[in-house]
Amino acid sequence: MIPGFTFVAVAAFLALLLLLSTRDEEDKDYDATVTRKRDRLGSAHALPPAELALRIFSPKDREFIRLTHSPRLERLFHKERRKVAVHWVRQTSREVSTIMRHHRLNSRYSRNMNVAAETKLFGQYLELRLLCGVLLLLIRLFGPHALSNLASYAGKVYEQLGRAMPDAGPATHYGGSGDLAVP
Amino acid sequence: MQDLLPTTEGREILRFRESSMNDSGQFVRMRNALEDLECRTLSQIPCDFARLIYLASMRDYNSANYHHEGLVARYGHAQARDALQSSHRDVFRKLVSLSLESLVTELEAYVRASHEAPHGLIHAWQELEPYRVAVPMEADSSMVQLFLSNIRLALEVLRLRQEQGQASRPTSSPQPLLDR
Repeated sequence: MIPGFTFVAVAAFLALLLLLSTRDEEDKDYDATVTRKRDRLGSAHALPPAELALRIFSPKDREFIRLTHSPRLERLFHKERRKVAVHWVRQTSREVSTIMRHHRLNSRYSRNMNVAAETKLFGQYLELRLLCGVLLLLIRLFGPHALSNLASYAGKVYEQLGRAMPDAGPATHYGGSGDLAVP
Repeated sequence: MQDLLPTTEGREILRFRESSMNDSGQFVRMRNALEDLECRTLSQIPCDFARLIYLASMRDYNSANYHHEGLVARYGHAQARDALQSSHRDVFRKLVSLSLESLVTELEAYVRASHEAPHGLIHAWQELEPYRVAVPMEADSSMVQLFLSNIRLALEVLRLRQEQGQASRPTSSPQPLLDR
């Protein structure tokens, strides 16, 4: 009975995380002029996702603000960084879904599909979507600054997925060899 | 004579070679334009933030096309445009990758270089947010948001420093705080 309940609870939690990562809230402040369609992986001028995550979730910036001893500035900092962090996670989640969808469509026409590689790819995709859900939940609960390692890891998984699916949409300028060889 | 004429396949190859030579020629000219821009103009500007504002000011508000008379005269319109665009994106990327502390230093250097009264400039920037126009087209949206957010924070830090500076200075009458 208890294992059954645990299984249901875990499944419900995972479903909640996935839901969180897909829900498209409006970032009222940011939407109008600054969030037109912009490719993150498609441009050599964009920071790699892991590096950008480290910047957004940086504890060093929080320390800098803390040393100003201004409660007003600290409040502003937490509000600003929370918004940017949530935006980054949602963007990552949206982009990886798009990349995966394109890859799935392209794979339908592939004659020599590597099942092992595809399975690994799908595992990484699920892992990233769950990471995004966990990050959104934790950002809301604790703020972004304790999460720099987790966010950077999510960024790295995203880069790996981008490298592994060069056929899928805007990916990628990370020309290095990926872990997966997808036909 | 007929033998000297290239076959259809040969003509295709020749056309390809010609176009790639053309492309590489254009690329070299663009590289030259970029080096010229960096050596003659950007190196004279004291900080990256001022470079960003300068490069954004080379972009037309309506068409978003970059224009620089000197570069156009020397390298052609397309090469000048590409060099300005590429440089703008590079400087933007550099600024986004800075820590908040370094960005505050950049902004401080910009305020000093502008020769405007710091108080007036900070106030105007907080009210009008003109730095939004400095963002290159097609930049990644998370980078844009981090940049705009960091500028807002950096301006607030500078304002706080101004207030603290004024408070520590002995004056006959207290200065009003600029609480928004």
